Amino acid sequence: MNPEDRKTKQLPKVGIYGLTSCAGDQLTIVNCEDQILDIFGSAEISSFLMAKSDNTEGEIDVAIVEGSVSSKGDLEMLEDIRKRSKVLIALGNCACNGGPQAACVAAEDHKERMKQVYGDVKWSLPDPIDAKPLSAYVKVDMQITGCPIDKWEFLRALGRLVKGDGPIPISYPVCVECKYNENECLLFKNEMCLGPITLAGCNSVCINHNIPCFGCRGAVIEANVAGEAEMLVNMKHPQFPDRKNFDYQDVKNRAMMYGGNTMAELLDKAKVKGAKK
Amino acid sequence: MRILKLKKKDLKKFLESISSFGELWAPVKKGNRWAFQPTAPDNIDLDAGRTILPLKKFMVPQKFTMFKYNKEGYTPELSNIPSRIVFGAHPCDIAGLNILDKLFTENFPDPYYIERRKKTAIIGLSCLPDEFCFCNETGTDTVEEGFDLFLSETGTDFYLVWIGSSLGDDLMRMAENLFSEDIAFEDIQKFTNWKKERAKKFKVNIDLTGMPSIFELSLNSKIWDKIGERCLACGSCSMVCPTCNCYDVKDTVELRECKGERNRCWDSCTLHEYSLVAGGHNFRANRSDRLRLWYTHKLESFIGAYGKPSCVGCGRCLVTCPVDINAYTLAKTLREEEVFFK
Repeated sequence: MNPEDRKTKQLPKVGIYGLTSCAGDQLTIVNCEDQILDIFGSAEISSFLMAKSDNTEGEIDVAIVEGSVSSKGDLEMLEDIRKRSKVLIALGNCACNGGPQAACVAAEDHKERMKQVYGDVKWSLPDPIDAKPLSAYVKVDMQITGCPIDKWEFLRALGRLVKGDGPIPISYPVCVECKYNENECLLFKNEMCLGPITLAGCNSVCINHNIPCFGCRGAVIEANVAGEAEMLVNMKHPQFPDRKNFDYQDVKNRAMMYGGNTMAELLDKAKVKGAKK
Repeated sequence: MRILKLKKKDLKKFLESISSFGELWAPVKKGNRWAFQPTAPDNIDLDAGRTILPLKKFMVPQKFTMFKYNKEGYTPELSNIPSRIVFGAHPCDIAGLNILDKLFTENFPDPYYIERRKKTAIIGLSCLPDEFCFCNETGTDTVEEGFDLFLSETGTDFYLVWIGSSLGDDLMRMAENLFSEDIAFEDIQKFTNWKKERAKKFKVNIDLTGMPSIFELSLNSKIWDKIGERCLACGSCSMVCPTCNCYDVKDTVELRECKGERNRCWDSCTLHEYSLVAGGHNFRANRSDRLRLWYTHKLESFIGAYGKPSCVGCGRCLVTCPVDINAYTLAKTLREEEVFFK
């Protein structure tokens, strides 16, 4: 919001949309029961199909888009939203990284995969294409990732945006928050934890419950995927000789579950000993 | 400084007697490790090893609110800091606090640190080294200050108790009858013998003499590139280090009303964003540069500024780094040119 608007108390216009996904991130917003009135009071929510019926599709200040681009229909919708919004936020892992539907981006041709799974069928839906994050097609101004998103991260970002400030992006890995929570490191307990290469913001919720990180928030900036894979697959820790190693394919499968194109490229560059092509 | 005697069997009674000062925190088992947690005098683990996080979490919590603000102004969040008794602090951790004291109370006094330090009673406890301790090398296996009370093992049925502050004296006086000044020559001998025995138990073969020069000579060494390749930049080493104290400050604003809060949280020079400045320039964009900064700060620059390393030999980096980059492997690599990091 620019300072002039703020003086006249004109609320910024916000549209919340969903492409291909489970809609769990929009649901997380709707589930902010204690803050929902503040959300609707702080901005003019012009479109939010999951939460309201009188939606209008015009010029907006902030577009918040969940889901991956998985069909030509998705792409048309995204391009239209981008054209009429000043700021576009990718919401959730699917929008930021492609989601689990992009787990096979590094594998063979998309058409070939479709044929393997569904056989020769005629599509009644808009043409399916390889699942990709929003940033593969349009300019994305900010990402709020996670599966699902962390509601507090969303509320903090929205709070700053509606008051005219830029949100503060997170740039450190899950390990930092995991140490805040004084957890015992699962990498020393023979778990395949992706904490060191995964973007934080989840308050290390899985590790707090003794579950290793699956990387649902996508790769952290400068993720040392080669180092992580090398550690999991080949490294013998001289001071913890009992720590076991993992099969490269298992590590790759886990990293690709939520990692999308970014992780595929990083793994490809990693050249880990023991990796089969 | 006064030194008194406390029978081991009276420790529980003593901790019960001082409970009116504040909540008791002590190392509690967490998986295979320990963590300082609120606990009862009955459940004290006298043989606890190093905790996952050091004492700094009491003085500079991982995340805390500095102040809340609204249209009228702001109020610092200093009044709701709880009084606590921290029992079982090991000498290396107290040495770490002494370093934080210099940084947070001298040139730029930090009211949040000072208030928490004042309200936290530190009761130290001597310990035996495990296979990762090297406080003998950093000169922090014995501390002379920084605690309110310090209990040392003697290998017999009593502790020797050092009174390190007026608060420590007050605490002792809350159960004065449990303490005795009757320390015989044999008691002193038992204590010194116990220390001699302890000195034999250190296993980490690390040599830190002349480290500043070795770092200075190795600034352009290829070893840093190798280490940078291996480092995951997960920040864990600095989170668990007793003397790492960098923090970030972030504001959170309410959605509708004109109010919000300013929060502080731990940050680390090993993380990508730490050296990122306006315009997108990052003057330590590589992991190798950042790790070199971290270790030269600990083992070179700090010695230049304060006459001793800011490593206290607690061994946390040895048990925390998932890829085995720590004070031990680094010192060994730089000194012996042995390429640990293939």
